[in-house]
Amino acid sequence: MLSSRTVVAVASSSSFLPLSHPAASTSSSAAASYPFLNRRLAFSRCHTNRDHSIIPKPQRSRVMEGFKTRAAAASAPQLEDADALIDSVETFIFDCDGVIWKGDKLIDGVPETLDMLRSRGKRLVFVTNNSTKSRKQYGKKFETLGLNVNEEEIFASSFATAAYLKSIDFPKDKKVYVIGEEGILKELDIAGIQYLGGPEDGDKKIELKPGYFLEHDKDVGAVVVGFDRYFNYYKVQYGTLCIRENPGCLFIATNRDAVTHLTDAQEWAGGGSMVGAVLGSTKQEPLVVGKPSTFMMDYLAKEFGITKSQICMVGDRLDTDILFGQNGGCKTLLVLSGVTSLSTLQSPTNSIQPDFYTNKLSDFLSLKAAAV
Amino acid sequence: MSAPAATQLLDPHSARALVDSVEAFLFDCDGVIWKGDKLIDGVPETLDLLRSKGKKLVFVTNNSTKSRRQYAAKFHSLGISVSEDEIFSSSFAAAMYLKVKEFPPEKKVYVIGMEGIVKELEQAGFTAIGGPEDAEKRAEWKSNTLFEHDKSVGAVVVGLDPYVNYHKLQYATLCVRENPGCLFIATNQDAVGHMTDLQEWPGAGCMVAALRGSTEREPIVVGKPSTFMMDFLLQKFNISTSKMCMVGDRLDTDILFGQSSGCKTLLVLSGVTTETLLHSPSNQIKPDYYTTQVSDFIGFLGS
Repeated sequence: MLSSRTVVAVASSSSFLPLSHPAASTSSSAAASYPFLNRRLAFSRCHTNRDHSIIPKPQRSRVMEGFKTRAAAASAPQLEDADALIDSVETFIFDCDGVIWKGDKLIDGVPETLDMLRSRGKRLVFVTNNSTKSRKQYGKKFETLGLNVNEEEIFASSFATAAYLKSIDFPKDKKVYVIGEEGILKELDIAGIQYLGGPEDGDKKIELKPGYFLEHDKDVGAVVVGFDRYFNYYKVQYGTLCIRENPGCLFIATNRDAVTHLTDAQEWAGGGSMVGAVLGSTKQEPLVVGKPSTFMMDYLAKEFGITKSQICMVGDRLDTDILFGQNGGCKTLLVLSGVTSLSTLQSPTNSIQPDFYTNKLSDFLSLKAAAV
Repeated sequence: MSAPAATQLLDPHSARALVDSVEAFLFDCDGVIWKGDKLIDGVPETLDLLRSKGKKLVFVTNNSTKSRRQYAAKFHSLGISVSEDEIFSSSFAAAMYLKVKEFPPEKKVYVIGMEGIVKELEQAGFTAIGGPEDAEKRAEWKSNTLFEHDKSVGAVVVGLDPYVNYHKLQYATLCVRENPGCLFIATNQDAVGHMTDLQEWPGAGCMVAALRGSTEREPIVVGKPSTFMMDFLLQKFNISTSKMCMVGDRLDTDILFGQSSGCKTLLVLSGVTTETLLHSPSNQIKPDYYTTQVSDFIGFLGS
């Protein structure tokens, strides 16, 4: 079920000058006194691959300034015939942040749109990379916002983590070390998987002095890393020791989103930051269970018996939501109510084009009305 | 491309030849001179021996937690006499990079790191914010409240920070993503290091990769293996790099730095690298020589 892909050696340029400005930035006198100033040290860092890493971080986000990506695909058209799209699929998968809500604020017209789709017999599923809540907790959030959504229709990356561990028959006598929040812990509990860490390790302090030794549990068989507002050095060290020293210990990431809308007003450093930290100290690529990895797509297609071509993925982020939909063989619709603007979508450096784009989800209703 | 020449195990004959052929020894510190705050056996005697043979000794460290001055004090407290200008720390390198690039003094620098970076920046005439004073800050979020950041921050410098937290990551992320032209500078990217004598701990590579993850930008790296610090070394000491030997415990920083600069290279096994790792087929970096620890010179050079 999980494709095994070898991680390409990432050419990490530790060039001490940004590649976009070669010698131009130094004055001739500086160049004379600093013979090493213009030397570039591009060298490969091979990240050792685990046997079953799921789709690595999309190359697009590693593109350096000054490098051109391959020619952008023709730009996606704006959605006009909403009915045709609705009729062509059985299931809609929605991202949450930037599509359904922003922070704790519902986006206009969402409840009516979801009701309309249900009335037309469409299955609705909600897939979010946000691992801070469990499915049950998300169910409550939907309820608080006045939306009629069932817990079984929600797939958060916290749930995906537990589902993944179950799918590989993670041994009952092994534990999981969690660098992340309550959502992950709750889902592991429900799945009957033992864990350590989580928010309470946010208060742990370390003392870097002679004779100090940090012990770690040798029974940890997986380290799970997701968004963590209580992130600290203790946790990174604990996770690093497990990954480096416990034979066969897995390094699992709930997701690698660079930034996320924790509040509606601005962006916040996302799970990609915490995952980056552990990658930086272990030099190992994680196994990613959240978007754009297709793990959740494969899981729910199997769970509900759906054909992927009968699915439309609706999201606000190109390198997670849209790529997730494309990798899964689904139709894709980008909404501009979240992190992606029209200019980003249409930029020559963007190579991810959804099938359609529209301003927001409730356009399904207004486009229908206009067509009548 | 021909395979790199095999690394020679140092012995009395090759040790004498090496010492005779160079005028200066460049030493990494963590894993070579000390581990955390504990001196590695035989180091003071070895340094004295090399000095008695007229060799210049220089210390090049990626550990940005201290300034050059603070390192000189650390050496002194361990009974070794070293002057500030014989030390090249990545904290110093970060400040010098900004100077060389003529970073405007009215712009600020946000630091994810320790006092060493802050002190070197201040000494170079720059305004540093963040650093250790942000260690206890906690990020909160509610609707209608904004996480503010200083729009005059023109550079973010990231180094080893045992007090790294979400607040610092978020602050730095906003600076890099939203302040036009903001530089993202890494003192170094070492994955782990001997911050204490008994075990390895995550290095600056951890904090730097955290910020790479949230900004989706590559940093400018001023520490080893970047050869940037070599320029300052050459300004200070009029010695050709071919007459220098870089002694370090890490292949992808120390040895690569030495090779890229044209120095001879000696790997010691007293730090992060084992003999197995050195000889592993996946290792492409071959130092000229290797030995157990620096004090081996005492035995090799003995009459």
